[in-house]
Amino acid sequence: MTINRKETHGRINRDKPIKFSFDGKIYSAFDGDSLASALLANGIHLVARSFKYHRPRGFLSAGSEEPNALVTFDRGQGRVTSNVRATTLEIFDGLVAYSQNNWPSLKFDIGAINDFFYMLFPAGFYNKTFMWPKSFWDKVYEPAIRKMAGLGPAPIDEDADKYASLYSHCETLIVGSGPAGIAAALSACEKPGRVILIDEQNEFGGSLLSTPNLTINAIPAWQWLKNSLAILKGRQNVTLLARTTVIGYYHDNFLGAVERITDHEKDINQNKARECLHRIRAGEVILATGAIERPLVFPNNDRPGVMLASAARSYLNRYGVVVGEKIALFTCHDSGYEVIFDLADAGISIACIMDVRDQVSDNIIAATKTRGLEIRTSTIVTNTSGKFRISSLHASRINDEKITSTEEIICDCLLMCGGWTPSVHLFSHSKGSLKWQENLGAYIPDTPNENTISIGACNGTFGLTDIMTEADSGQSKYTVDDMDFGSGIIAATFPTKSDPAKIKAFVDYQNDVTEKDINLAVREGLKSIEHVKRYTTTGMATDQGKTSNLNALQITAHAVAKPVQQVGLTTFRPPFTPTTFGALLGGKDGDTFHVTRKTPIDGWADDNGAIFEPVALWRRARYFPREGEDMLAAVNRECRATRESLGIFDASTLGKIEVVGPDAAEFMNRMYTNPWMMLKSGSCRYGLMLGEDGYIMDDGVIGRMAEDRFHVTTTTGGAPRVFRMMEDYRQTEWPELDVWLTSTTEQWAVIALNGPNARKLLEPFVEGIDLNPESFPHMAVREGRICGVETRLFRVSFSGELGFEINVPAHYGRALWEVLFKAGQQYDITPYGTETMHVLRAEKGFIIVGQDTDGTVSPMDAGMSWAIGKKKKDFVGKRSLNRSDIVAKGRKQLVGLLTDDPNIVLEEGAQIVADPNQPIPMDMIGHVTSSYWSATLNRSIALAMIKDGRALTDSDIYIPMADQTHKVRVSTPIFYDPMGERLNVL
Amino acid sequence: MSYKLKSDQGVILADLLAGQVTLMADQLRYSLRIKSQDRTAFTKACGIDLPNKIGQTIIQNDRMVFCVGPDEYILIDNPNLRETLKQKFEQLADKFVFSTTDISHRNIGFKLSGKQAARMINIGCPLDLSLETFPVGKCTRSVFESAEILIFRNKEDEFQLETWRSFAPYMARYFEKFCLENESL
Repeated sequence: MTINRKETHGRINRDKPIKFSFDGKIYSAFDGDSLASALLANGIHLVARSFKYHRPRGFLSAGSEEPNALVTFDRGQGRVTSNVRATTLEIFDGLVAYSQNNWPSLKFDIGAINDFFYMLFPAGFYNKTFMWPKSFWDKVYEPAIRKMAGLGPAPIDEDADKYASLYSHCETLIVGSGPAGIAAALSACEKPGRVILIDEQNEFGGSLLSTPNLTINAIPAWQWLKNSLAILKGRQNVTLLARTTVIGYYHDNFLGAVERITDHEKDINQNKARECLHRIRAGEVILATGAIERPLVFPNNDRPGVMLASAARSYLNRYGVVVGEKIALFTCHDSGYEVIFDLADAGISIACIMDVRDQVSDNIIAATKTRGLEIRTSTIVTNTSGKFRISSLHASRINDEKITSTEEIICDCLLMCGGWTPSVHLFSHSKGSLKWQENLGAYIPDTPNENTISIGACNGTFGLTDIMTEADSGQSKYTVDDMDFGSGIIAATFPTKSDPAKIKAFVDYQNDVTEKDINLAVREGLKSIEHVKRYTTTGMATDQGKTSNLNALQITAHAVAKPVQQVGLTTFRPPFTPTTFGALLGGKDGDTFHVTRKTPIDGWADDNGAIFEPVALWRRARYFPREGEDMLAAVNRECRATRESLGIFDASTLGKIEVVGPDAAEFMNRMYTNPWMMLKSGSCRYGLMLGEDGYIMDDGVIGRMAEDRFHVTTTTGGAPRVFRMMEDYRQTEWPELDVWLTSTTEQWAVIALNGPNARKLLEPFVEGIDLNPESFPHMAVREGRICGVETRLFRVSFSGELGFEINVPAHYGRALWEVLFKAGQQYDITPYGTETMHVLRAEKGFIIVGQDTDGTVSPMDAGMSWAIGKKKKDFVGKRSLNRSDIVAKGRKQLVGLLTDDPNIVLEEGAQIVADPNQPIPMDMIGHVTSSYWSATLNRSIALAMIKDGRALTDSDIYIPMADQTHKVRVSTPIFYDPMGERLNVL
Repeated sequence: MSYKLKSDQGVILADLLAGQVTLMADQLRYSLRIKSQDRTAFTKACGIDLPNKIGQTIIQNDRMVFCVGPDEYILIDNPNLRETLKQKFEQLADKFVFSTTDISHRNIGFKLSGKQAARMINIGCPLDLSLETFPVGKCTRSVFESAEILIFRNKEDEFQLETWRSFAPYMARYFEKFCLENESL
């Protein structure tokens, strides 16, 4: 099993052999392997099928840029992750992984038939083919395409893992721990500030992990790395985060990073978070994210065994894995030679070296000769063969862009080196601008938008000496024994003798986009890379084109015969690599997914079978069903009990604002439409609040507690909005007023008692307040004590019955509720929820802001002109009330509706017409805003907004519904006790 | 009839939080508003020291006064002093323009202590809690995920967090998850 290992090479722990399973078969590996290196060590190159054509695929790279080798990682139920890059998956004893996108098996995949019918799937295929019939898209095409399309299955089980999140701060954040990152960290840790060094790999070191033969300050690279890490670990001000990917770089040096904590651990710890989302605010960001080697685009460049040269070097030096027994190199850049020399020096047979260029530097020629190798210059690869792995290639000599001769060469691995692409992803996230660097054939950072610098290969600086100098702020503290990084040419397109329509030279491996597709897009008129990208999907896969973008750009530029800069640049967006939803949520699940605010009495409601509904962030009891009751039955019972005897209701969620100061009344006068100056202490008034636009924004009962103190109530959902608006006016418009606002929503628990027996229940518990109707009339408020605790007792009613709202400090809410509930048994006290509250108020024609109003309803529309202080000089929204459109005829007005058939309960939101026989489209004159069954009236009732509705009182209108059209009589919106006599029951 | 209503802060802490998170007992809390120019005279008249800078705290016996705005103070004190303070404020009503509002039951207080206290807060609060930027004695309003909080550093490794009552169970649940995931701490 170790035939593909080199005993002399690698950092793997040979003392710790482990077993893992791939596609159901057990293999051996060592601790320190990635799944990719482990499979290669076992001679496995075929690991995946491609997205569109289901072509056999192997490993292109050894890093996070991998487009091909996507696998499903299975840790048991609820822990299955698909589309994991085998090159970044750390192996542990017992690891289980599967290949994806093949059926019935990786070697015999039915979907591969697509490869033979490629002519049916040109670029823009979906856009062209599935346009008609339109109705087929949802039911036929899309599901079929989704089923066919590649990548692993979405998980079906609930995620069994936990996730965490953490905010961190530092003065210096360094992303990437290659030689540049390490050198930068060594110099940053000398300064007083906090330093965080992050690397996506399990080990720090970046490219150094694959280049043990280098020396830095005469110390071998790995020893230097070890020494440097020891220094960094010893510093109090340094935090090292391995296995952590910076996924996004946002405003003001705020970066998101995901740390993988448990994926590499053999045993699952139920309590340990699998991943942690780090949200980091940094003073300075040093990007040392390196560069990614570029593939070369030639026919059948996607066969297993065809890989990036740098990958072969990593597999050999880091993992001790030999990727082939006869290895060929195809390069246009000097850096490819470093790899081939490492391989040759390890005793691996080299099949041939092909260089696109007609000349190679003397140093390289000499170094090649020393190893007994020769270079074929002006040579390109024009084809490859081999079913599941490359077995031979066609090496063609070119002269003046023409092929002069072709030779077949036997090999089992072909390395490509197309130059290097600086990883500018994060720099771009931060809105830094890029510039084109002709000699690299790549974009590099230009002007940063944040306090950031890019160093090393991600800045277009190559060659270890230059990198180390740049990382150390231009000082040359480091002497490096390094082969000259050299140079290369850009070789995005190659001549061919084959029919260009028939060859597949892959640009984007993951989305199966070929050179031909890009040329087709250009022929079809797409000139900008942004358009070519969307048409061909190049660069749009989960790897975001890490290995393909620059080739696609060069090919497009070539096709449109323009400089690359004029073809444009696609945008990099977070996340840098695919990220789990769990990590993005950062541990917000279950109770922490969303705040559910509960009242002090919520626990009692829960214990007593309440059905809840969400109202803003709160959950409120909607109704209290008894055995066998549905909502309607429960609500009917609750309504009757309240009207006949006594109902108890938790009104704690009502927004409350304490308005205090010598100018409190003046402030209220300006905020609300009603007059407040003359309201006496101890009295309440219904307050109506408008926006600047004159439309109803909020309402509530407001009590004047003292000359300089108001207890304001707002709607449940409107509380924050009202508070903010009040503060805005107070601070910016009227700073001269001596008044202050405090939110007291949660200071008070509020228990509403409604019904003819409300006073009788209350009386024995209250101290210091005379409940006698003469001294405590409707719309009054008193302070005193109830059951020994302080209370603000309001005599108000939202039901039309005799009503009290008892405010007590919140922590006593439940205890008081329980006392009242127990004592109320003699009156058959009935707890009711929001649904009954809605019915009772609708019977009285009281509006609910946000239900009967929609932000376009004026007080006049709602029939509430009475709430406007006629003598007031000003209040918020007053000026708008004279606007021509607000005073115009034809506005919708609030009315009541009584269906012809009393048993029909209208649908809320239903549209209203005057003439149901009008041809469609009919003129819609209004809509139903509230609609209920009224147990009290033994019939349905509804409220509606209808154009000039009040003039239609007592006439019939129609509500066309799917099954039938309802005839409805327009009425006043007050259905019950229009004289308000029930408020005064003794 | 005489009743003794039971106080219920609406949040229960899991056992595993022991030693790391404590729910503070009932406190007397006031939102106190007074213009900055009246601060010194007011302090002299009522004996309650008010910090003169936003973010500062003054502690006297059981009393903590946080300055959270140009004219805004949060006063936390022993609940037994309710009547005393009330009377004090009433006496000053004619002499000063100011506002007091009882928010004793609006807020819930958590005390977080131990080496991991700052880290526990940073699971949901974006503030930099290093001693340099958030020294002992500093207070400020902030957020903890979806909850608004008041945060105060008592000691190097002890913080007090105040939040509105209905947000307290949500925050407690976060602390619980943190402690579960960091068993070894």
